[in-house]
Amino acid sequence: MVLFGLDLDYAACVVLFCLGLYMLVAKSNLLKKVLGLNVMETAVFAFIVTAGMVEGGDPPTLGSGTSPPYASPIPHAMVLTGIVVAVSVTAVALALIAQIHAHYGTIEVDELKELP
Amino acid sequence: MRWLGAALVVVAAATMIAGVADLPVHGTPDAPIHRHVGAHYLEHGVAETGMRNMVTAVLLVYRGFDTFLEVVVIFTALVAVLALPRGAAESGPARVVSTAGSTGATASDTDAVGTQRADVPVSPVVFFVVRLIAPFIAIFALASLYRGHITPGGGFQSAAIFGALFIALALVFGRERVARLVPVPARVWLQAVGPVLFALVAFVGWCLTGAFLGYPAEAAAHAVREAMVVTLEVGIAVGGAVILAQLFMVMEG
Amino acid sequence: MSVPWATPLPLATLLPWLVVLPLVGAALVPIVAVGRPRRAGRFTLLVVLLTVAVAAGLVWHLHVMGPFSVSLGGWAAPYGIELRFDRFGAWTLPLAGLFAFVVPFSWRYLDGTLPPERWAVFYALLLLNLGGLLGFSVTGDLFNLFVAMEVVSLSSYALVAVAGRGVAAWAALKYLLLGAVSSLLVLFAVGLLFTLTGSLNLLDVTIRLAAGGPSPAATLALASLVVAFMVKAALFPLHVWLPDAHAIAPSPVSAVLSGLVVKVGIVGLLRVLQLAAGSGVPLEVFSQVLMLLGAVAIVMGAFLAIFQDDIKLMLAYSTISNIGYIVLGLGLASPFALIGGSVHVFNHALIKVTLFLAAGSIIHQTGFRTLSDLRGVARVMPQTSAAMAIGAVSIVGLPPTAGFVCKWYIALGAFEAGQSGYGFALVFGALFIFVYYVRMLNAFYFQQPVRPEVAAAREPPWSMRGPVLVLAALCLIMGILGGIPLAFVEPAVTDLLLSMGR
Repeated sequence: MVLFGLDLDYAACVVLFCLGLYMLVAKSNLLKKVLGLNVMETAVFAFIVTAGMVEGGDPPTLGSGTSPPYASPIPHAMVLTGIVVAVSVTAVALALIAQIHAHYGTIEVDELKELP
Repeated sequence: MRWLGAALVVVAAATMIAGVADLPVHGTPDAPIHRHVGAHYLEHGVAETGMRNMVTAVLLVYRGFDTFLEVVVIFTALVAVLALPRGAAESGPARVVSTAGSTGATASDTDAVGTQRADVPVSPVVFFVVRLIAPFIAIFALASLYRGHITPGGGFQSAAIFGALFIALALVFGRERVARLVPVPARVWLQAVGPVLFALVAFVGWCLTGAFLGYPAEAAAHAVREAMVVTLEVGIAVGGAVILAQLFMVMEG
Repeated sequence: MSVPWATPLPLATLLPWLVVLPLVGAALVPIVAVGRPRRAGRFTLLVVLLTVAVAAGLVWHLHVMGPFSVSLGGWAAPYGIELRFDRFGAWTLPLAGLFAFVVPFSWRYLDGTLPPERWAVFYALLLLNLGGLLGFSVTGDLFNLFVAMEVVSLSSYALVAVAGRGVAAWAALKYLLLGAVSSLLVLFAVGLLFTLTGSLNLLDVTIRLAAGGPSPAATLALASLVVAFMVKAALFPLHVWLPDAHAIAPSPVSAVLSGLVVKVGIVGLLRVLQLAAGSGVPLEVFSQVLMLLGAVAIVMGAFLAIFQDDIKLMLAYSTISNIGYIVLGLGLASPFALIGGSVHVFNHALIKVTLFLAAGSIIHQTGFRTLSDLRGVARVMPQTSAAMAIGAVSIVGLPPTAGFVCKWYIALGAFEAGQSGYGFALVFGALFIFVYYVRMLNAFYFQQPVRPEVAAAREPPWSMRGPVLVLAALCLIMGILGGIPLAFVEPAVTDLLLSMGR
């Protein structure tokens, strides 16, 4: 959808990315920071998949009841890989947060900064 | 910090929108993204790879090395989580934060951290529904794997569904019971299945065609190609599922 | 079907195995080490040595036949993934080689640092790190670059926190959050570039960008990449994650992180330069920014290092300063500067690994990390202290050591490009560096031990001492044999400058 010469779907992805970035930067709770990171990752995936779609197109599985035009298969492959990477980063981040909590008893950045 | 964050975000948004505005409107069929490589895959993909699902073709055949690295990434996540010290015993004494209001970190919470937490009591409705649906979820995951090269689906999707099933079962039945689904001696082998099978298939491809992860192109070698693809898919699915299950089991607190 | 063993095996096709070997090795380490944790370390060294052998074969092939590329799966680029081994790719040999020193060092170092159940996964993480670094260095595909970078990043985050308690986890998490944002910026840039050009192959994208002409989207993509790699390289002002992470990590990990992993950012910036060449994006802006930030990093890193009492924090700030040197060389983009910067990538890796391993030995044997506590340690650990002294002399850049060549080249490059101000920044930085290493050597050699544990310490076992001493010898030799890396770097730089249109 184009509004005032601006592609709204792309803009929405950018806005989502920036919302996630704000969560990452401004929230004090470590879990919320990780959630912000996840929102950013989702925004980038949405951007990539949106770029690959075709107006009125079908998914790129040829022959099973689909007909041209097809969406590009490469963004789908990229995002699949990207999701696995995002899951992996989240897993490591959560394990680190668990380690922090086990040692300090808190996962709030404000309190962590005050500890010696 | 909030104002700095807000300022940073506004600047980032402005620059990104300015750059993105220059892109061709998404969805137009003659944009650069749909020509060149993508168009080649859609035109010749079925003939060159024998698969109908172009996404799987890209993942396993054209860009198989990326998928190998992806399998390595999820393995890295598991190894990373296994390597980190776990529980209060290893991480040192948990310190109770005096400002109990914001974190609610009372003494009982910090005592519970690092010890095996008793599973949350589950309502009979949830218990019944999960037990009823579990086999169908498993079948769906298997079907996703089996049909992955024709319809949407494939190794990772099936691994994710299996992993989610495992977690649902663990939440309902309790971790100790469900952990027996992945017997302890088998864990180090099963978690390595992804990268190792991939390397084996790539090696076979190298021997057969002289190219890393090369698929024999002759029509007569159709069975070999199928076998390689199925091995890869199964490797990804089993490895991924076991890794996701282990990630859940390992993380405490 | 063609069977490659009937004909002499083309050495070039080994290229993908350079990356796959350590990664598969990492998957096998936990299996091998079941019940016998020490086997993990031995097996890891075996895998690393195999990888070094493959790298050596590939570098020899490069030397004899010139740059080559391998299309994976037989699919010609850009329809498949292409691995490229150009002259900068010769970096993979010292990269793997340095790991071959870090691994035996870890055998005894881990005794006090990690419980045996976790040794196998530690070595697995090291191998994954190596595989990712190699993959990042040889790939010719944008998305492959991203995934390889993620393998490196994930293993690095975990390696920082592996032996520590809450403090280490907190440092690792800060590293993770900043690193994950930078990885996302890379993915976003890859998505943008793919949308603009329809291809993911580096060379192909470069050509298509150049054909398309200047565009805001391409500029945004390249700017995202630059910011992302600035974070990875810990270039000022995005360096804040590095001091804590590198200082808190166990010493073999600090060696790998400071010596090798930060170079991911440098290689990334190099790739961005190659991408941007001829694309119409104003390179001058990038170059100016890089030069300025590099110069600030040189001075600031060295200045802050002077005030550190903890030797590992001091070494970490020194890394920030040296990254500044390399980036200054990249930004100046004159032949001497680029050559100096590229050779410094290798030299700094060698010297930093030496310094961190030597520091690790000292910390392991005495139990102390600060200069005030470690006074007089040279009396009880003469060999290790000598290694540290050699490393210090090398990094300050006194002739005839390795560090001298690079800094001299970069300074020449600065004056050659008419940017004498930067040349002076370089000299100032060198002076500061000189100060803090003199501080360190003074404390080790010329002061009386204050701690009884220091007075009672002894040299570490040979599996720790040997790598340190050999590396120190290499630091000395590389100054004299500086021609070898130059022989690879000079043609590479010439090619790069040609492609950039200079």
